[in-house]
Amino acid sequence: MTVVQAGLEAVPLSDLEGMAWPAIPTPIASRMLSLQQQLAHSQWWPQEELRRRQFRQLAPLVEHAFRTVPFYGRRLAAAGYRPGQEITEEFWRGLPLLSRVEVRSAGAAMRSTALPQQHGPLSETSTSGSSGTPIKVVKTAVEQTLWSSFALREELWHRRDWSAKVAVIRGAGNATTGERLPNWGPPLAGIFATGPVSAFEIRSDIARQAEWLRSENPDYLLTFGTNVVFLCQEFRARGWSLPRLREVRTIGEVIEPETRRLCREVLGAGITDVYSCEEAGYLAFQCSGREHYHVQMEGVLLEVLDERGRTCAPGESGSVVVTPLHNFAMPFLRYELGDIAEAGEPCGCGRGLQVLTRMVGRARDMVRLPTGEKRFVWQSTAKLAEIEPILRYQVAQIALDELEVRLVAARPLTPAEEDAFRKAVIANLGYDFRFRFVYRNDIPRAAGGKYFVFRSELEAPASG
Amino acid sequence: MTALRAIAYQGPIVKGVSEFPRSPIPHTAFAKVAWPALPTGFAAQLLALLQQMEQSQWWPPERHERLQFRQLGQLLAHAFAWLPFHRDRLAAAGYRPGLEVTPELWSRVPVIARREMQSLGDALISPQLPKEHGAIIMDSTSGSTGVPLRIAKSGHVQTIWAAITLREVLWHRRDIRLKLGALKRDPEGRSFAPAGRAHPDWSVPFATVFPTGPAALLDSRSTTAEQAAWLLREQPAYFIAFPTLVRDVARYFLERGLSLPSLKGVNTRGEPVDPELRELCRRAFGAEVADMYSANEVGYVALQCPEAEHFHVQSESALVEVLDERGRPCAPGEVGIVVVTPLHNFAMPMLRYALGDLAEVGAPCACGRGLPVLKRILGRARDTLALPSGSRRYARIDMKSLQQVPGIVQFQVVQKTLHDIEMKLVTSRPLGPEDEEKIRAEVKKSLGDHLSVVFTYHDEIPRAASGKYFDFMSEIPA
Repeated sequence: MTVVQAGLEAVPLSDLEGMAWPAIPTPIASRMLSLQQQLAHSQWWPQEELRRRQFRQLAPLVEHAFRTVPFYGRRLAAAGYRPGQEITEEFWRGLPLLSRVEVRSAGAAMRSTALPQQHGPLSETSTSGSSGTPIKVVKTAVEQTLWSSFALREELWHRRDWSAKVAVIRGAGNATTGERLPNWGPPLAGIFATGPVSAFEIRSDIARQAEWLRSENPDYLLTFGTNVVFLCQEFRARGWSLPRLREVRTIGEVIEPETRRLCREVLGAGITDVYSCEEAGYLAFQCSGREHYHVQMEGVLLEVLDERGRTCAPGESGSVVVTPLHNFAMPFLRYELGDIAEAGEPCGCGRGLQVLTRMVGRARDMVRLPTGEKRFVWQSTAKLAEIEPILRYQVAQIALDELEVRLVAARPLTPAEEDAFRKAVIANLGYDFRFRFVYRNDIPRAAGGKYFVFRSELEAPASG
Repeated sequence: MTALRAIAYQGPIVKGVSEFPRSPIPHTAFAKVAWPALPTGFAAQLLALLQQMEQSQWWPPERHERLQFRQLGQLLAHAFAWLPFHRDRLAAAGYRPGLEVTPELWSRVPVIARREMQSLGDALISPQLPKEHGAIIMDSTSGSTGVPLRIAKSGHVQTIWAAITLREVLWHRRDIRLKLGALKRDPEGRSFAPAGRAHPDWSVPFATVFPTGPAALLDSRSTTAEQAAWLLREQPAYFIAFPTLVRDVARYFLERGLSLPSLKGVNTRGEPVDPELRELCRRAFGAEVADMYSANEVGYVALQCPEAEHFHVQSESALVEVLDERGRPCAPGEVGIVVVTPLHNFAMPMLRYALGDLAEVGAPCACGRGLPVLKRILGRARDTLALPSGSRRYARIDMKSLQQVPGIVQFQVVQKTLHDIEMKLVTSRPLGPEDEEKIRAEVKKSLGDHLSVVFTYHDEIPRAASGKYFDFMSEIPA
């Protein structure tokens, strides 16, 4: 009754007997596709029109924040906000930026006390920790729907063949020997028929990952950007290849041009990257057939600002400031993500969506264990986010068996808090390291603007 | 290459704000989420269909055919299970339940004519519907001859119909925030001239999904003068009416030097549209005609291409064949009978139904859509001239030459026998023998020298019960 074809031509699963084509999908899938219908058009709108629409959507968000979020009640009043007013570019420019540290300090005052009823239920996540300042984020079901619809757009842009074989290497639970999943998972799987997925745990020795990947011989690989580098090094060293591989999909980190070259050279496939964050969802997708990114303007107002807070012109780099347009549970207005991006010229593809040419930001080295294993550093930060005084952290490997935890904190951690931190890191890295806690006023970025949340300071760092 | 295809798939690029109307933003069902909108229920279902069709329109014809036959498999299994009439015919064609429907098998299923459908009556109506297909909706269609055909439809026929209705508006980039003026027969009798009736929106399915501007309705049983006055008063952006009504009112505007600057487009259906009508609308209104080809019993057959004057078959809704006299598919440039199989009507499966129209097959369209092209829709076969040889041909009267005879208000050419034509006329002055001779010569030139022409004069030539008007009618059954 259903058809699996290359992404573009795939026919949705029909929820109704007899209606194979066109499909009448389930109500939830219908909503997803109805969003897709809108996104398919709006991507071609001129950028000014998209921006005008963003500002219109900002009006209810700002008013809601003013009325129901204690932190914003104060901040917006100070900025001269009056309920019902139009949100102009000028007003927006005058609104102070929101830092991670402010969010972390404000705690519950960042949350709405009166969520519109239809927007629930709520879910809570923590940032991936790659910024060094873990924060808890509250999201709504509405936001989740939009998140899913952007994920679907990304699939359509890149015309994937959903019947093909996918290998995923990420935090997949206990998949240290590999795990078979029946489909590509949400949002695709609820709407279209897909092939199966093989998953492997990223917190495992890179050599084992490579072996597993080689035996899987997938059409697509999805993993973190730096893990691609590690895998490429491993494949190159062993003279292996992945003959079926069509595309490598990366998430979570900034992709350097060098990584793209390495991947093409060793694995014979290009990288398609996604730029996202927990706080604002999908920020930008790589344009099909190009290496730059399109901001997902229907979901997020993304500003690239120079040191004086002015909008960067194409070719200039600045700080990435985001405002997710639909999070009414925990609004982030002009939130400084901590990444640096370069603004791009309009794209030759014709889409009006804002262009980012490259990002500098989150980075991590590989950890080397005394056992000889080399691993990607997985940041599961839910536990770190609960340790209140931490404003920013960096973990450095200073010896094979010793880590230095560098903290910018509101106060020194109690022994219990230190212990919680230690346990979380040991669980992530899989080795019982010795720890040293040091307190700093600031943790500077490395040269080029990268922020290393895990830094290898061994004499022969394993990150390559 | 990838980028180019991406553009083709998404449709033409909108280059600047001034070139909008952009695609409208649907109603949202969630407070404070205005954009992108989060629709629900029927609206979400329609947009989900639209999303599928906005992609499929760019598919190559072979892919459409594959999916059509897949859908046909569902319909045939149902027809075979529940309707003895179809069971016998399908079995004779070699169909068995579970068998894949191939083009070869399909070509062996006999074509069914309208007359046959009429004689079968309710024997074509399924006693059972698949789950969740809703109740059977009964309807009837009269056509120009006035012999009604009872039609049963399942609920999702209406869903697909609604989705294609939305597609038509998006194809032609109509700005639905503006005013719509519709000239049609109002069965409730509440839209008579001079006032007509005001409606706050464009109604179903537009208003179900999108915020729309208002609509003004006028009953088509009004005079041309009343229609013109109504248009001038209402100032609609879009005008929808049968082509002959559009023609009359456009002429009225031209003759009196009237103008309707608000008008951005004319939307027609129900009767053939010729190049003269398109030109007339350009001159009278400065607006283009967008025509569509549909029939009550089968839904949409074809929509005019947004970039050309020919039509794209609505392959997502119906399998449409154009067959020559031997039942073979016509090649581009050939004219044949239109045979339609609506793909989703489980209440009354119509398998290879000869609608009674003639159409010319067109070459693939330069717009890039893979939907098959009908170059021209020549109208009803029963509106074709019956020839003494037993065959029929499309009857076309040269309108321009008739207009050179002053005083002709309305005309209709009726074929009474193989050799006799009645020329019905409504005139503003008595015509002399010289005028009649001129007209007779034109008719013979258009239709054939073997015909004799008699003239009859009338106060009014009424429209058919459907509201349609036919310049030519043959009383010899097709």
